[in-house]
Amino acid sequence: MALFRSPRSAFGALRPACVQLTRVQTAENVCRLAARLAAVSGPALQELQEYVLFPLRFALRAPGPQRERLVQSAVQCMASVLAATAVRRPELLRELLAELCACLAPGPAAPSEDVKLAVTEALRTLLHSASGDVSLSLYQPSTLPLLGCAVSLLLGLVERERAKQLKVSALKCLQVLVLQCDCQEHRPLGDDEAQQCGDLFASFLPGISISLSRVVTGDIKQGHKPTVAAIRLFYLIVGLVMADAQLARVPKSKEKLPEKESRVSEILVHRGADWSKSTAEKLSLLLRKMVEFSSVHPHWKVRLELVELVHHLLRNCSHSLESSFTHLLKALVGLVNDESSEVQSRCNEVLQGIAEQRIIAQSRALADVLSENLHSLATALPRLMSSQDDTGKVSTLSLLLGYLKLLGPKINVVLNSTSHLGRLSKALMQVLELDVTDVKVVEDRRWGCEGSLQPGVQNGRCQRKYFRFFTEEKVFQLLQQVCRVLGYYGNLYLLVDHFMGLYGESAMYRKQAAMVLNELIAGAAGVGVDVLQEREASPSMDDLKGSVTSILEEYTDQANWYLITSVDTEEVSHEQHPVNHTGLPARPGGTCSTILLPSPELHATARTMNSNIWQMCIQLEGVGCFAAVLGKEFRLLLLTALYPVLEKAGDKTLLISETALGTLAEMSEACGYGSVQHLINDNSDYLVNGISLGLRQLAQQPHASRVLDTMLRHSDASLLPLVEDVIQDVLSTLDQCYNSQASTFLGVLHSLMTALVQWFGSFCSEEQQQQQSTECQNRTLSPGPQAVTARDMEQFFLDYIRQKQIAEGDVPDSGDEEADEVPTLAKPEPNNCETEGEAPLPSHAQLAKDVLERCIHLLSDRSLRVRLKVLDVLELCVIVLHPHGNHLLPMAHRVWPALVTRLISDDPLAVLRAFKVLCTLAQKCGDFLRPRFSRDVLPKLTSSLLSQAPASARARPVYTHTLAFKLQLAVLQGLGSLCEKLDMGECDLNKVADACLIYLSAKQPRKLQEAAHSVFLHLMAVDPDWTWLLLTETCCPHGYEPPHASLRPVKLAGMGRQRNELTDNVRLLLERLRQRESGAQEPPP
Amino acid sequence: MLEGGAASAANLITQMALPPPDPQFVLRGTSAAVHTLHFSCGGQEPDVPVLFSGSENGLIHVWNLKTHRVDTALDGHGRKSVYCVETMGGKNRLLSQGRDQRICLWDLEEGRTAVMDSVFTENVGFCRCSLLMVAQGRWLMAMAAKALEEVQVLELPSKTSVCTLKPEVGAKLGMPMCLKLWQVYKTHNLVNAGISDITIRPDKKIVATAGWDHRIRIFGWKKLKPLAVLDYHTATVHCVSFSNHKNPRERLLAAGSKDHRISIWSIYTQT
Repeated sequence: MALFRSPRSAFGALRPACVQLTRVQTAENVCRLAARLAAVSGPALQELQEYVLFPLRFALRAPGPQRERLVQSAVQCMASVLAATAVRRPELLRELLAELCACLAPGPAAPSEDVKLAVTEALRTLLHSASGDVSLSLYQPSTLPLLGCAVSLLLGLVERERAKQLKVSALKCLQVLVLQCDCQEHRPLGDDEAQQCGDLFASFLPGISISLSRVVTGDIKQGHKPTVAAIRLFYLIVGLVMADAQLARVPKSKEKLPEKESRVSEILVHRGADWSKSTAEKLSLLLRKMVEFSSVHPHWKVRLELVELVHHLLRNCSHSLESSFTHLLKALVGLVNDESSEVQSRCNEVLQGIAEQRIIAQSRALADVLSENLHSLATALPRLMSSQDDTGKVSTLSLLLGYLKLLGPKINVVLNSTSHLGRLSKALMQVLELDVTDVKVVEDRRWGCEGSLQPGVQNGRCQRKYFRFFTEEKVFQLLQQVCRVLGYYGNLYLLVDHFMGLYGESAMYRKQAAMVLNELIAGAAGVGVDVLQEREASPSMDDLKGSVTSILEEYTDQANWYLITSVDTEEVSHEQHPVNHTGLPARPGGTCSTILLPSPELHATARTMNSNIWQMCIQLEGVGCFAAVLGKEFRLLLLTALYPVLEKAGDKTLLISETALGTLAEMSEACGYGSVQHLINDNSDYLVNGISLGLRQLAQQPHASRVLDTMLRHSDASLLPLVEDVIQDVLSTLDQCYNSQASTFLGVLHSLMTALVQWFGSFCSEEQQQQQSTECQNRTLSPGPQAVTARDMEQFFLDYIRQKQIAEGDVPDSGDEEADEVPTLAKPEPNNCETEGEAPLPSHAQLAKDVLERCIHLLSDRSLRVRLKVLDVLELCVIVLHPHGNHLLPMAHRVWPALVTRLISDDPLAVLRAFKVLCTLAQKCGDFLRPRFSRDVLPKLTSSLLSQAPASARARPVYTHTLAFKLQLAVLQGLGSLCEKLDMGECDLNKVADACLIYLSAKQPRKLQEAAHSVFLHLMAVDPDWTWLLLTETCCPHGYEPPHASLRPVKLAGMGRQRNELTDNVRLLLERLRQRESGAQEPPP
Repeated sequence: MLEGGAASAANLITQMALPPPDPQFVLRGTSAAVHTLHFSCGGQEPDVPVLFSGSENGLIHVWNLKTHRVDTALDGHGRKSVYCVETMGGKNRLLSQGRDQRICLWDLEEGRTAVMDSVFTENVGFCRCSLLMVAQGRWLMAMAAKALEEVQVLELPSKTSVCTLKPEVGAKLGMPMCLKLWQVYKTHNLVNAGISDITIRPDKKIVATAGWDHRIRIFGWKKLKPLAVLDYHTATVHCVSFSNHKNPRERLLAAGSKDHRISIWSIYTQT
């Protein structure tokens, strides 16, 4: 398109269209003009501005039928002209403004929405096109009526119109009108000019603010854009009119205006103190409504704009609008945890800004507002926490947190007021109340004595807690932050003192107070605190240490550390011996502890136990937290803290022991030890001291042995020399009280022996394995029937004869080769023993021996539980002593009588355990045991088996629940392996087989049959041939053809028998035997 | 008479159902019988109170009473039993006497562990030497000399002999303090005879004895009324010592025993 650059050519191009339009005012003509205008360059048009505008203005006034379209196009055209040019004449500006406003005037023939939109757009363009001075000329007292008209018309649009676009456009237009446009074109107002405008706009403030607040709080369906624009306009205008800087400069009395403008001066407002006060009050109402409405607005942009509002007003009107800040700050703080990240970050920025400028710190009033808010919130907190839903709780708490953060160092002012601190702490106490109804916490026990010697110490921070009033983790985190921020800014001594008071005041608050204390310390050290401003002075390490020490003292005080967390097996055993049972840890010099601590029989409801468990956990977590805070400085406190924690690590309640382990891990990390094991080893002197003192007062401190137990569990062989001393103490204490505390001590002895087996067992078991493997080889080799030749047969037979002779005492006395053999076989043994006997027993073996000695006494304890434990310990002792046969044998000799009793007449469980012990023992001292077993035990066992067999064969299903059945089962289950281990003679094997054979009967209960099976399987391992013969004599499924005619046909007793009760099982066993033999045959090549 | 007193004290204890007193702490790790103890707690606040112990294996252990651990172990008597340890002034100058017939002077400043000087006593007995400060930096030391009944007095640190007390003078091997104690013994017949050490508390109110019966006994000083029996050790107690801490609440009693342990008791607060 050709551009008309010079005014002359442009005039030539535009003139026809203008003339045409002046003559006939139609929309078409306007369009033509607009088309021409597009081709004219800006500077050229500037010259012709008024010429071009004239027909358009004329058209606006023209009456006619098609007015709507005409007005719209004319206004649009006008806007395009104004956009390209600048208004340089104040009169023109005023006239155009008036004319355009006239188009908007409501009346009988109200213009359509399109027209209104076009007009508002044009108005905006007009105001933009007015250059600085010109536009300022509009803002004189004399033009106030015109401005007022424009403002009210636009407000009317904003309020009454439905079209979103129109509303937004009107709002933007208003924004330009009050000189608060966002665009960069305008030069900033000077102070005086701003003051003048402020004076003018003060007249509109009521109208504007009320209508805007209506828009903001209006129907949510209007969409977010109008709301956002309205909020923005609101704070801009309020920020202008109520600006502190301006109000400060307002003269005391109203300025007298020239006479002719007296009417105008009537509507002009004087922004004096009274006015600003009353306006602030009114605005406060509006603001409150708006804030309440928009802080929960679903659209994030609205909330973001709200943040801006607070920011703007706080920055500009912190004095004038003081009364509104309660709500504004509340909104701001509440939005910190908004779901939209934009709002969140902006909110944080704003808060940060506020904090940095120290607005709060400097302005006493704001601090008062905040502390007042805090107080009322703290008062309402418990109620809110029990009534609100989780999101509500989150917002309430983030509000609380926000107040605290905003107060920053000023917190101390609040804390120094008793009522504030009291409210706040009570609120925390109530909100943090734990849910203690879960029985599972009490039920979960740590049984893992076996195998889990070194459980993976999880570095999990905290146990998940269950609260009465909330479930969401977020809520807890907020509360945590609240406490930490308190600790960060607050006076540590004051806070610790106060919460310690609560801790001691009532058992109700104890858990919560401990929780708060833990977080306070973490906060004071600045661990995991998220704050807006740095505190002035962080507490020194000495202060921290002082507080921690006093808290630790309180935590580990007997009354707070030894709580009833379970109705323990140990307690049960206490009850059996009520004489010794006090269960009450006595405070040194204090008889009051008896009153404080109820005896376990009194109130050990699941609820209190649960509560106690949680308290324990919280305190343990606290110890861990303190360690983390103090770092290496904590090493000095290990002297007092390590022992109690280890005590709890050995607790039977799973939760407590896990938490304690976590604490240990934290402590070792904090103090710079590589692992828990190092922590224990390096500080074993402290622990040993505690244990040895604890052992002296066993009645009061039944946990001393438990500490040792834990130490052993979590350490390695290098610990042994360090604790040997105290183990001797344990043993000597055990000697003094076999009756009352045996069960506790056995626990320790058990873990001691388990540890010894683990630490030193490797070479014991190596030896053992070697032994076993050689035995196995022997076994597989000797009966190996591969390619049985006639020669082998002959040799076997000869050997057999000879063995038999020897067995009958018919030893050929001279010249025979066997004569040499026997001594050579016998020789190494004594030699071995001698050398072993001379060397001093290694310490671990000596310990095992000492323990074994105690076991002998305890084997016949009254309580089954103790007996079982003793048997376990006994077995472990035997394993440790295996390499030292010289010492083991005499001990075995002493153990034997007691062990026999366990085997013959005891509970089935004990019988089974005793069999196991016997098996282990047999590995080393088989020769010693064999004759005794066959003399003392076997006859009784077999006879009882035989006598019981008919009974069990006849029995009904209920029988499996009787003691007799369990005994039978135990004996059968144990007997087989024992026979194998002891390598028993044929005669004894016969006895065993006879007794067990009847249990192969199909009439016997299933389980007994299986047990009998196992016996025979073991017998096969000892002597397969003999077993085969025995079985085939009962029942023989196959016929055997002699390999040579010269041999007599094989006749077996079991051949050709009718199928009877035994047949099935015997066949099964024979089949297994065949598999075994063929299996043994195959591998060698 | 004393027996009755002891019994009534024991009765009293059982009546009150108080647990038997426990040591505040037990120091372990000397790995030999402990023969002598000496506190040094007089220092100012940052100074950690220490306890010196001399044991049968010739080592002197310096125990830190804050951490309850050995700070250093001094070896200067050729693995022969150490039976006397004294400080000269602060805790950094130490005198020790051992069964190797030597008296060693130690300089422990700045963590040093060196023998500064030593005196050869030529005495084969068990008599401990005695130290008396005459002026700042000057001490007199009396020790049993070579001849059986001879006492030699030296000036330290110059080691010049001041005088030698010959048997005619009639002084038994020992110091005036000991003689005083001896008189008290004569008037009171001990129930549990057989004690290896006896110490008077610096404030002269109570006396502690280390008994062969594994127990430490506390007596009132004026009438020798038995006050308490401290039972912890499992072997003969060799020595008892009171600390000289400035703060009376932190003053301690230490006892070293043949069972390799040193028990620390806090008896000021309890009595």
